[in-house]
Amino acid sequence: MDINDFLKNFADQFDDTDPTLIRPETRFRDIDEWSSLNALAVLNMIGKKYKVIVTADELRNINTVEELYDFMISKQK
Amino acid sequence: MVLSNYDITLVRLTYDQLELVRNWRNDPKISQYMEFRDYITPEMQIKWFNKVNNRNNYYFVIEYRGGKVGLINVRDIDYLKMEGEAGIFIYDDEWVNSTLSFQASLCMYDFCFEKLSLKRLTAHILKDNKRAIKFNKIIGFELAEDQEEVFNQLYILARHNYIKQRTEISQIFKNSNLWI
Repeated sequence: MDINDFLKNFADQFDDTDPTLIRPETRFRDIDEWSSLNALAVLNMIGKKYKVIVTADELRNINTVEELYDFMISKQK
Repeated sequence: MVLSNYDITLVRLTYDQLELVRNWRNDPKISQYMEFRDYITPEMQIKWFNKVNNRNNYYFVIEYRGGKVGLINVRDIDYLKMEGEAGIFIYDDEWVNSTLSFQASLCMYDFCFEKLSLKRLTAHILKDNKRAIKFNKIIGFELAEDQEEVFNQLYILARHNYIKQRTEISQIFKNSNLWI
């Protein structure tokens, strides 16, 4: 598992966003398509693929894709 | 009949709400995702309601923060097979991409699986309705066999899948008094 896999899985949760625009430094709330439905899709994906629950409350304090990845890894340990 | 949970209220459809629902249903932003897209007249609406206002069909207006925002249903319930067909639309643009559809669905599906004791729900989703597919998969619906090439695809939600997904969604919102 590395951040590139995570970037791909993250990008898969969007229908109309160019995956190449999803980078570690991307502030996900700035993505045009971002909505609470996508947020739930991302958190559900993390639970399914990485077996970690990141809560909606925790997501509020995270801004970039890399921060989300790092937070998820820290919860896995 | 009123169902209330997950910070949402579902009020069973009655005659006095038929015009509201008819206007929603005739709006192209809703009808474009429906298999039946003909214009619905008031007479057609009443005729339809007389046919479905029974224990085999449950249609609820979704209410949130005092406003009527959409419709959710389970229809054509077969009490021998213990299954029915689910459907939902959110009319109010403010809430289309919110978690409100999840809140309404959890409230409705709890009723279906725990009160009506259904074993599974089905849903037909047009193949190009990506948002609905994403939404239904999170809830636990799975594409039925041999549906890949079908335009109006059949999805199935088994009771155990729903319970599993409900648990996961609840964990995501654990300790949060707000839906994102």
